[in-house]
Amino acid sequence: MASSNDKTIESGARRQALKNGLRVGALMGAAGGAGLTVSGRAAAEASPDPLITEVQDWNRFMGDGVDANPYGKPSVHESDAVRRTVSWLTAENKSSINFTPLHKLDGIITPNGLCFERHHGGVATIAPSDHRLMINGLVDTPLVFTMEDLQRFPRENHVYFLECAANSGMEWRGAQLNGCQFTHGMVHNVMYTGVKLKHLLAEAGVSPRGKWLLPEGADPSHMTRSIPMEKAMDDCMVVFKMNGEALRPEQGYPLRLVVPGWEGNMWVKWLRRLEVGDKPWHHREETSKYTDLLADGTARRFTWTMDVKSIITNPSPQAPILHGRGRTVVTGLAWSGHGTVSRVDVSIDGGRNWKTARLDGPSLSKSLHRFYHEFDWDGSELFLQSRAIDEKRQVQPSKEALRKARGTNSIYHNNGIQTWHIRPDGSAENVEVS
Amino acid sequence: MRNSSGNSFMQRSALLTLIMGAALLSAAARVSAAGDADAGKKLFPQCAACHAVGEGARHLYGPMLNGVTERPAASAEGYSYSDAMKRSVEEGLVWDDATLDAYLESPMSYISGTKMAFAGIPDEGQRQDMVAFLKRIATDGTGVVEEISQAEQADSSPVAEEEPRPLARDTVVPEHGVLHLGRAALPEEVAAWDIDIRPDGQGLPAGSGSVEAGVDIYDTQCAMCHGVFGEGEGRWPVLAGGFDSLTDERPEKTVGSYWPYLSTVFDYVRRAMPFGNARSLSDDEVYSLTAYLLYLNDLVDEEFTLSAGNFDAIAMPNVDHFIDDDRMEEPQYAAIEEPCMQDCLPGSAVVTQRARILDVTPDGGGDDDAAGGSID
Repeated sequence: MASSNDKTIESGARRQALKNGLRVGALMGAAGGAGLTVSGRAAAEASPDPLITEVQDWNRFMGDGVDANPYGKPSVHESDAVRRTVSWLTAENKSSINFTPLHKLDGIITPNGLCFERHHGGVATIAPSDHRLMINGLVDTPLVFTMEDLQRFPRENHVYFLECAANSGMEWRGAQLNGCQFTHGMVHNVMYTGVKLKHLLAEAGVSPRGKWLLPEGADPSHMTRSIPMEKAMDDCMVVFKMNGEALRPEQGYPLRLVVPGWEGNMWVKWLRRLEVGDKPWHHREETSKYTDLLADGTARRFTWTMDVKSIITNPSPQAPILHGRGRTVVTGLAWSGHGTVSRVDVSIDGGRNWKTARLDGPSLSKSLHRFYHEFDWDGSELFLQSRAIDEKRQVQPSKEALRKARGTNSIYHNNGIQTWHIRPDGSAENVEVS
Repeated sequence: MRNSSGNSFMQRSALLTLIMGAALLSAAARVSAAGDADAGKKLFPQCAACHAVGEGARHLYGPMLNGVTERPAASAEGYSYSDAMKRSVEEGLVWDDATLDAYLESPMSYISGTKMAFAGIPDEGQRQDMVAFLKRIATDGTGVVEEISQAEQADSSPVAEEEPRPLARDTVVPEHGVLHLGRAALPEEVAAWDIDIRPDGQGLPAGSGSVEAGVDIYDTQCAMCHGVFGEGEGRWPVLAGGFDSLTDERPEKTVGSYWPYLSTVFDYVRRAMPFGNARSLSDDEVYSLTAYLLYLNDLVDEEFTLSAGNFDAIAMPNVDHFIDDDRMEEPQYAAIEEPCMQDCLPGSAVVTQRARILDVTPDGGGDDDAAGGSID
């Protein structure tokens, strides 16, 4: 059974390869090697499109039946839509990072398999039946919850972006990486299902002296961060579902903390413990790391909120313009840890003139927003920039302004305006302009 | 108080020579009983900081170990072996059960001068498990996870006879809280997980550790990544030095130059180090390592012993140079005004920097070493 299927697929593929060869030949003849700048209309006039005039394999031969993939996968033609890492950033891959392919996505939701990963001690493998969440410290009753217990609290659904504080951190000294996946891909946007932290804390009974919360992970890094109680009681959640399905192992299965609008490092994965205290703990990830060194040698600590930011995802170095001049769609993402994004402006001339882009899709607090700017490209070089403005009227700053205020050694919280240089051939490069 | 790092180098070199000089090249003629490869796999995390296995495994600080028992010793392509290891091969070293067992028991004794700065596995049974695991990994990287045949899978899931379910009405509902969910945590449970320490010393366990005791622990558990003097191998964190570098173009943020609190060192080492073998150090060992890190940073002398009693007497040099978040007072945020829409900048845009010059984007074929910045 299986082998006869294989044979069908194989011979089908061979036929298709043959046809593709013929098709390319026909087009080459018609287009005369003029390449990308030939409009679709001109090619169509020269010779009819065999994809239309000929019966294709997929028109005739049946593909897989139901259940070929009990858990469905993307099309084989989407193999380029994958997370990618930058190997020189870290010593090895257990404590490392990869990046969301923003240029391959649209809308505001990040598919679960493409959400960037950041681990400090590999991906912990935990059976939900073996997982426990403890609350201890300054509480009336220290408690232990099983995953089943947590499902009995009132559940809520919220869409939030998660951005690593080091997103764009490699660009402080200047343009370095060619692609929005690498410059801005430490962000994802997911609908979470879980329980507000305030309900769990109420169950244990927080002492009036309890001003801080220490979440801790169950992985070998035993990640810890200090979170002020007001934030914990406001919108923080413990979640077990992302985009409707169970958390992915690399996103903290079976339980992670959600700290809306605040840096991703605080969203402790494989969450196993919440300790209530009267002071912050000043642990490694809030002293040695995730503090922002300034030019004068002092460093900011507890820089939690992710400031207003945006990025043009298409076109960009990994997604050049292939269609030539004429109608062109510029699109991208904008977000702010202070709330909703109220406006995004786009410039095609390196910040000389700006036009307000069209925000489309849901505008949710502390979530990615999608923007579009459609225009007629005359084929001359472009310097594309986007600038977001949030509900608190904070305006995304230039990289120059950030460097003037902080120097170039902050690593974290680089939300400066990005420039893509679009050449007359449609290719794109990460540049800085004056 | 130590005078200079040069002095320290002499002391440390002498010490290393002593350790390595005590080589006992006795090729143990022990016959290895068959170990349990799965048990060996569970032990492997302590090796994983330096050795990769599985499909696509690359050399790290140590060579990748796919097919290590199938290939001649010291023959992995592209890995730079120590002179000591190459010499051993010339002298006839062949990896078999007995030689692997002897090497794993004490790498630095078995091959004096090996780059494998690992204390060894003292337990013979664990060594046999490890050897069995290494033997299972084929040259192509398969075998890390044992492949279970369908027949075995079917066998391993017998249908258990179902017990009658308890009645819902018999469930005991706890009294705490609002919704009466979860159960009270036992003191032993809280003690097992609550290991965090604060700058004021809250959470410090009883115990103590000296600089002297820290030397050996550091050399066997830490130096392979962090360097013998805390200088950091490759891109692993630098732990010592970097004083007065925080305003430099390339600041060196070390325990001594940057970390504001000593409690952070103790807490982090105890919760997350050694990388790949977390929670394996005793409290006294963590005190010793913390003391030794102070010593490597010229903050205490070699006679020093750290304990809960004198912990708060240590002030870290950079403690006063942290400020709270004042980003909103920066000029670009403080002045809330309508952004410019037209003729905002003079002339045409001029490119001042290009990513292509550096060419450090993956798959770009560029020189990774030219890249600046690190996010770890």
